[in-house]
Amino acid sequence: MAPMRSRSIRLRDPSQSARPQGFRRHVAVGAMAAAGLLAAASNAQAQAEATPLASAGPASNDPLEGFNRASFKLGMSLDGALLAPITHGYMAVTPRVVRDRVSAAIYNLGEPNTVMNQVLQGKPRQAVRSSARFVVNSTVGVAGLFDVAAKMGLPPRGADFGQTFGRWGAGPGAYIYVPLMGPLNVRDGVGRALDIVTDPVSLFVGGLETDFGKARIATTVVDLRARTDSAYHALDDAADPYVTTRSAYAQYREALVREATGETEALPDFDAPPPEPTPSPPAANP
Amino acid sequence: MILPGNTMRNPSPTRRGANAALLAFFGAAALSIASPALAQSSARDPSAEAFVQAKAQRVISVLANKSMSETQKKQVFRQAVDELADVPRITNFVLGKYARTITPEQRARFTPVFRTYAENVYQSRIDDYRGEQLKVTGSVVRKPGDVIVNTVVSGGQLGQPVPVSWRVLGGGANWKVVDVQFKGIWLAITQQQDFVSTIDNAGGNIDVLTNQLQKGGSGRR
Repeated sequence: MAPMRSRSIRLRDPSQSARPQGFRRHVAVGAMAAAGLLAAASNAQAQAEATPLASAGPASNDPLEGFNRASFKLGMSLDGALLAPITHGYMAVTPRVVRDRVSAAIYNLGEPNTVMNQVLQGKPRQAVRSSARFVVNSTVGVAGLFDVAAKMGLPPRGADFGQTFGRWGAGPGAYIYVPLMGPLNVRDGVGRALDIVTDPVSLFVGGLETDFGKARIATTVVDLRARTDSAYHALDDAADPYVTTRSAYAQYREALVREATGETEALPDFDAPPPEPTPSPPAANP
Repeated sequence: MILPGNTMRNPSPTRRGANAALLAFFGAAALSIASPALAQSSARDPSAEAFVQAKAQRVISVLANKSMSETQKKQVFRQAVDELADVPRITNFVLGKYARTITPEQRARFTPVFRTYAENVYQSRIDDYRGEQLKVTGSVVRKPGDVIVNTVVSGGQLGQPVPVSWRVLGGGANWKVVDVQFKGIWLAITQQQDFVSTIDNAGGNIDVLTNQLQKGGSGRR
């Protein structure tokens, strides 16, 4: 612990260090407050939505659709111009085994955050298992490159703040598309911000102000893009890629929340299409 | 680092982090008491499980088969899909609310176009995973005749087994898959939202969707 601590001090310019930390605390407090509001609002909303809608899957809550569609378009062209070429280059020069090692190492750095969230979700046993994973994989697994723990019967179980809020009863809230960050909703956006400001590895080892933090974020982005490459290809087949992304994201996140709550999924009746056939205006949900 | 006399033991990020963690632990303890009891159904359906084990395995085996030519593969895949999935029911489902308003002529055009489109899509989705063995891990009876069968696909080029769920309707000797789920995402549900939005944005004209599927998606390539 001691050498690590001294390193983090050395890397920070003492005259500047006060501000980012104060800022960080403000962000955290703000995010917490936002989360509280969000939870209250979405509870009310969940009650309003309690009657099962006839439409398939989670109802899309997208009041900013016009803005989001423009963001999506921008995001996709930025991806095509910037991120996709970098990722495809990376995928061309590295074999799959190497990329899997990189993914494992990045996942391992997120494990402390997972532990924190499993605690917050009231899952102490999972938290202990994830802690054990972190210790084993960081040491025997050579800085997380090899998932030794999975072979010892400790498979990965991810957790994040968005999922934690879901476990506490917060609904997803409005859908937002942020270029280069991808699809989000209010709950998971607040969650993502909290994941970043409270990340134990950033706090203890080094955040964005360190070389480690910069390398980590760059690797995380490219790794995530490479892992979702087939999903990007799948979008080519969609009639409306924007809606496909929105639908897939909502389902993916809700499945993660159900993993934490243990609820069973509400599925549409397969043979009864929704009654009202109202063309043109995008279905306005309550 | 701000208070004098405190420079030697810099308490900031580490100490603050530890405090936050402590707080979090206590908060969580309180919350876990408050969380409601969870409803979970545990009934399994062995005949639905056996159906998925046999027919879904066949579809995966066809795609993993390296000795068949592409055209041969397409043909056998088509057959395997017919045995596995209820294509007419899915065709109806993906139209959502427009299944009620579609004219017989529009349906006659849409049906074969969707079939070809869906075959390509499902084949490339399954190809993305390139697994070889499918193993049923359990099932959940939603109601009699409506079962989710959970499986894991492994082997082939998969580093880790991938969980895949199948929604099967029917019963006895007449089970058929109507939807497949990877990573929480149901393919038919996603397609329904995609298609309904496309028709909505075309002012309710179903032919616009049919034309687009015929061209092969959004053409964003």
